[in-house]
Amino acid sequence: MIGAQFAGNLTQGLVLGGIYGMATMGLSLIFGVLRVVNVGHGAFVMVGAFIALWFFTALGLAPIIAIPAAFAVGMALGFIFYYSAIRRLIAAPELSTLLATFAIGVLLEEVVKIIFGSEFRGYNWAVGKLDLSITVLPYSKIYAFIGSVAIAFLLYLWFRKTRAGTAVRSVVEDSEGAKVCGINVGWMYALSFAIGIGLTVASGVLLAMFIPVGINPYMGGGYTLKAFVIAVLGGLTSPYGAFFGGLIFGLIENGSYTLFAMIPGVEPFALTRFLSFIILLLILLIKPTGLLGAK
Amino acid sequence: MRAKIVKYYPLIPVYAAYLILFLIGKNVPGMWQLMAMLAFYCAIGQAFNIFLGMTGYVDFGYVAFMGVGTYGMALSIVHLYQVEWLGVGIIVIGLILAVVMASLLSIAVGAVALRLRGAYFAIATIGVNEGFRYFIEGAKIWGGSEGIIFSGQLTQAFGRETASVLSTLWADIIIFFIAGIAAFITIYYMRGKIGYALTALREDEDAAKVMGINVTKYKIIAFITSASLAGSIGAMAWALKLTYVFPSEVFEIHYTIECIIIVLLGGAGTLLGPVVGGLIYGLSKYWLTVVLPGFQLLIFAPIIIIIIVAFPEGVIGVLKRRVRGSVLEKFII
Repeated sequence: MIGAQFAGNLTQGLVLGGIYGMATMGLSLIFGVLRVVNVGHGAFVMVGAFIALWFFTALGLAPIIAIPAAFAVGMALGFIFYYSAIRRLIAAPELSTLLATFAIGVLLEEVVKIIFGSEFRGYNWAVGKLDLSITVLPYSKIYAFIGSVAIAFLLYLWFRKTRAGTAVRSVVEDSEGAKVCGINVGWMYALSFAIGIGLTVASGVLLAMFIPVGINPYMGGGYTLKAFVIAVLGGLTSPYGAFFGGLIFGLIENGSYTLFAMIPGVEPFALTRFLSFIILLLILLIKPTGLLGAK
Repeated sequence: MRAKIVKYYPLIPVYAAYLILFLIGKNVPGMWQLMAMLAFYCAIGQAFNIFLGMTGYVDFGYVAFMGVGTYGMALSIVHLYQVEWLGVGIIVIGLILAVVMASLLSIAVGAVALRLRGAYFAIATIGVNEGFRYFIEGAKIWGGSEGIIFSGQLTQAFGRETASVLSTLWADIIIFFIAGIAAFITIYYMRGKIGYALTALREDEDAAKVMGINVTKYKIIAFITSASLAGSIGAMAWALKLTYVFPSEVFEIHYTIECIIIVLLGGAGTLLGPVVGGLIYGLSKYWLTVVLPGFQLLIFAPIIIIIIVAFPEGVIGVLKRRVRGSVLEKFII
């Protein structure tokens, strides 16, 4: 019995993990290319969740249709913030970019608060459920998972098969060398930042499909912290690493919850979060290139 | 001898600022709370600057040290309030416990996280802060997520009137003292061997290492100093003043951000910077709360971005360049 419950929770964790992974790819992409940690990451996830909510409640459209729109909004936001602030801070000490991205996150939260108010919102997209006997998965979660995998694969293709993707990779490898080879490094930074933000906002839609409740302007903070753990699991600089980091994190989160819940007198949810930060520290110390990274 | 005293001239404007705050608070009715808040912001700015400003390492989990300091004071009051002969000793023990706990945490964190640099260090320190908070909540130690509320114990130990004076007056006065001590330590470090070592480390850690500077030792010293000051501030401004402690509040990342803003606004690695930053930040926050309640953050966020982009050296950084070669040079650093 406990085995079936455990397996069921792990299945849920794997599906959620796929979405977590996709929600972290933007963070890793931006850090990998620009060496900027986006501390306002969660706020962009929140914007995506509101776009999904707005599509469903105001336009009556399925949230999954909101993904391209969210990606476009995210890219636009990415370009705006890149050219207004980040561009001038790339060479500055970490302190500047950390604080600037945090302030950008706060700005987004406050703007959304003025537009939508600060109460918790949710929606109900009833598309049926899939019974796996060990657990029940609503189709909305399955669509979100498929969407995550598809987006991750598209990003992979973009990196491998297009000129721009190759150029970005060369900038990561050696930005001076890329410049010598005639690559517009500044534009590649801008593009990577915009795509990174676009992915993050799009992931907000997927998260809102997985968890369609609790949408409010300040929901992002928790996702920022989770994204840090996941990004570190994946080696911080690699978007694919982040995707697999997300899968692993989803499994750990749900698996450890089941185990902690068996200990009497503790709060299993908080202990799960505690465990995730222990993992973060261990990986940073022992293998900062991530679980899958090279030596 | 004279050269020795000249070294400490920059303390004059700092202490003058604190004295003015104190006198305004004492003599103008209704101003004490505001002045105490300004002193609090100056104090955390000063304390954080000793690590962040001097080493250039961004500790995103700095608030954790204030948090454990708060717990130190809370634990002392909760466990000792029935020991009558201790009297004010309970508060003294609480303060010592706060400093010890914050230092121990900083040694543990420092041993682990200070091996990392740049963004990796920042992320690790966030991890420590959040991890510690969830450990308290998850394992249900120190009251778990319900926290500790000890106004009752404080009243029982000291009587209603004394307890109230302790919370509303002495907690603030001690913050002034801590701010003063932090300023003194800052200049003592800046003018000493440790200051030169940290400057070298901030500019180029590898080069400093090659030159034979024991960078690890000085980083740890700055880290512990900064953390123990933070612990004492938490014990006073949060525990003794508010008489409760909740893990979700004392480990809130926004307080770390406030510290960073104060340091950056005034000028990182300067003595006067955190004071100027604390005053500007505290006053504008207060003013915005009065004029535009609910919109403070909306206005603050873009201003912060503009300041980072346009004036990364902060007020004192700019001022320092302006007064170079003039009489004021001795006082502004």
